[in-house]
Amino acid sequence: MTAATLEAGRQGHLDLLGWIATTDHKRIGVLYGVTALGFFLVAGLLALVMRAELAVPGLQLVGEQTYSGLFTIHGTAMMLLFATPMVSAFANFLVPLQVGAADMVFPRLNALSYWLFLFGGLVILSGFLVASGPADIGWTGYAPNSTLPYSTTTGTDLWVVGLLLTGVATIFGAVNFVTTIVTRRAPGMGLLRMPVFTWSILVTSILILYAFPAITAALIMLLLERRFGATFFDPTAGGDPILWQHLFWFFGHPEVYIIAIPFFGVIGETIPVFSRKPLFGYKAFVLATIFIGAYSMTVWAHHMFTTGAVNLPFFAATSFLIAVPTGVKFFNWTFTMIGGRLTFPAPMLWSVGFLFTFLFGGITGVMLASPPLDFQFQDTYFVVAHLHNVLVGGSIFSMWAGITFWFPKVTGRRLNEPLAKAQFWLWTIGFVVTFLPQYQLGADGMPRRYADYPADAGWTTLNMISTVGAFLLALSVLVFLIAVVEALRRPADAGPDPWQANSLEWWADSPPGHHNFPNLPPIRSERPVFDAREAARAAANGEPPAGSAVAPAPAGPGPVGPAPAGGSPEAPA
Amino acid sequence: MTARRRATAIAGLTAIGVVAAGCLPAPATVEARRTADLYTTFVAVAAVVAAIVIGLSVFAIVRYRARGDETLPRQVIGNTRLEAVWTAIPLITVAVLFGLTVLVLNAFDDATRAAAGVEIRVTGFRWGWRFEYPAEGIRMEGVGRPGPEAYVPVGENIHVTLTGADVIHSFFVPQFLFKRDAIPGRLNEFAFTVDAPGRYGGQCAEFCGLYHSQMPFTIVAVSPADYEAWVAAHRGGGAGASASPGVAPGGSASPAASTAAGASTSPGASTSPGGSAAPEPSR
Repeated sequence: MTAATLEAGRQGHLDLLGWIATTDHKRIGVLYGVTALGFFLVAGLLALVMRAELAVPGLQLVGEQTYSGLFTIHGTAMMLLFATPMVSAFANFLVPLQVGAADMVFPRLNALSYWLFLFGGLVILSGFLVASGPADIGWTGYAPNSTLPYSTTTGTDLWVVGLLLTGVATIFGAVNFVTTIVTRRAPGMGLLRMPVFTWSILVTSILILYAFPAITAALIMLLLERRFGATFFDPTAGGDPILWQHLFWFFGHPEVYIIAIPFFGVIGETIPVFSRKPLFGYKAFVLATIFIGAYSMTVWAHHMFTTGAVNLPFFAATSFLIAVPTGVKFFNWTFTMIGGRLTFPAPMLWSVGFLFTFLFGGITGVMLASPPLDFQFQDTYFVVAHLHNVLVGGSIFSMWAGITFWFPKVTGRRLNEPLAKAQFWLWTIGFVVTFLPQYQLGADGMPRRYADYPADAGWTTLNMISTVGAFLLALSVLVFLIAVVEALRRPADAGPDPWQANSLEWWADSPPGHHNFPNLPPIRSERPVFDAREAARAAANGEPPAGSAVAPAPAGPGPVGPAPAGGSPEAPA
Repeated sequence: MTARRRATAIAGLTAIGVVAAGCLPAPATVEARRTADLYTTFVAVAAVVAAIVIGLSVFAIVRYRARGDETLPRQVIGNTRLEAVWTAIPLITVAVLFGLTVLVLNAFDDATRAAAGVEIRVTGFRWGWRFEYPAEGIRMEGVGRPGPEAYVPVGENIHVTLTGADVIHSFFVPQFLFKRDAIPGRLNEFAFTVDAPGRYGGQCAEFCGLYHSQMPFTIVAVSPADYEAWVAAHRGGGAGASASPGVAPGGSASPAASTAAGASTSPGASTSPGGSAAPEPSR
């Protein structure tokens, strides 16, 4: 079906029914990715309106009510309609390929996940179409401000229902990923031979199964309170507003790592490829991923330091601790580069850019983990700068690394390198100009979620700079879209392995055929395609086999050509 | 090479210092000076960490860029001793930062438990603030801009009991380097001691609905003698109550501003969320 579809695509007509009815993990991955990018464009436009409004004091473009809707839907869409589904996009396309499987374990559940996500997202955005406007409660939806009589818009109800749908979709997806990774690995691929991206998805999926039920429950409680007379969060009737914050952040902090860990995994794939070396400290990297996942379950109340309702030293300690495994990953990445042969095509540029930009997010995160400092920074632009630094400088930088890296695998075409590099530099400059001034604004006391600020506050210049940066980011996205269109107009000639890469997806065709693999190379390390390529080179040169550093393989790597699916059954190292 | 590396390190440190160390406002209270000192320590540690990481990355990029050499580099898979070191050093670093943090937190707690010079009850509501001095029988309340003014004597421990009337607000005075949430159904306590006379602007920091950005207040710190005079002028509510309407900024859609002392008639005075309607400004 896929091959025929691609053929149809080449002939210029879209196989619409095939896409709607698909249960192929690759197509669902593409659907997830394209839809998530669509929501990204919408949420980005909302941000541009906000930045334009904030460029100078006074209300020029929108009023307070509209502004509340803008930041609510911007945050919600970026976190839950873009970043989280983008993880599903990468994972759907890559996990079965990386573990050498034909598809996910539950293909129809996979399709259901996608459609629930799409319709949930549209329900949230439909708030713009109702008379009272979209949700106006912030993406954190703090009660009682999100309850009646305080948030009277129908959009808030649509927000609750839409998030319930997308949350269930995410849970279904996580079930599918865990099952696939645990049961569908090719023979020879022990857990410690899995690519680090697949490891990251395994940890992320477990986090999803832990965190998303909490937000699902909280949303149902909020809906009951808004429309059916419940009083979970109403202090005048025995409820407690703090309950919402606990439930929300019990989900919300793991959520931050749900959209960070997979992208750490992406960088764990790209840097070794473009350094021509294995990941330095693969096992430590995997262990750090597990620790980050585990710690992320224990830090939620650091979002609540100023409530006076949580144990400050405990949550400060856990929040400080999470810096340690994150630091380990930094050293894994830099020491992979040290001693390598580094090349810098677009995916590597994004990866190295990530190291620099994410560093600032990590450092300011340690500052925010200290309650006395948080007492100044909480709910100011310092936190806005920090969270965008982590999510844009961390997750989105590595998302672009991943998109440029796997674009040839998905489409069979490499992106035009000058265009991709132009996008990188525009984005990097735009990122710095947009978000770094916001640290200073926040340190000086400018609160977030302000539609307006006084002209005499001294915040005008930095706000103007930040607004200019936001439009540079928009320009960068435009360049990316042009690069995609340009690439898709060329023939698919990238070949299976354009980057000389390591993991099994590079063994398949680009794009991979139906059911992915006609055969598999032997899997004796976490770099089976590297091993096979080196063995072939050695054989061609008549040299003794170089072997892999991980699997010394005294007998030499196995056959390179068509081999029976399933390499050596030997136990993982 | 060494000179270049050193130059890179210095440049990196400077960049971090300028960028990450967003300058705090001048601290105005005893407690704020502790926070500012803690922040300086964090920035110094951050600069060193950033210098190391950026230095390593820049070194790798410059030194190990492929120069037409197609041979495979040595396939190093790790180094257990090195990995143990770069796990242990960050662990020790954050342990020290945690210890310094707890010392400051303990000092805040001590101030809150210490004998209060002045006791103030602060209530945030949509969209303004109410300051009550129970011992002095004073009540200051304001909606919108410029908001209410609360006088405090310098050098005395000001003990605040904070709550919210409808939704969650947050009491934030940037120069005190401090905020605390005003939560309906809960009482939050904190204390501060202002160093010098002055007017310290405050604002709401927790998103509370339509006019979240339009509910400032001012803490006016004066000498103890001036404070006594202010109390005498406002004691008991009626006498000397200033009910001058505030000035809304240049025709913007801010809520009608008012300040009132003593028995307030402000529509924002409702204390139950389901009770009287919050002030609905004319637009």
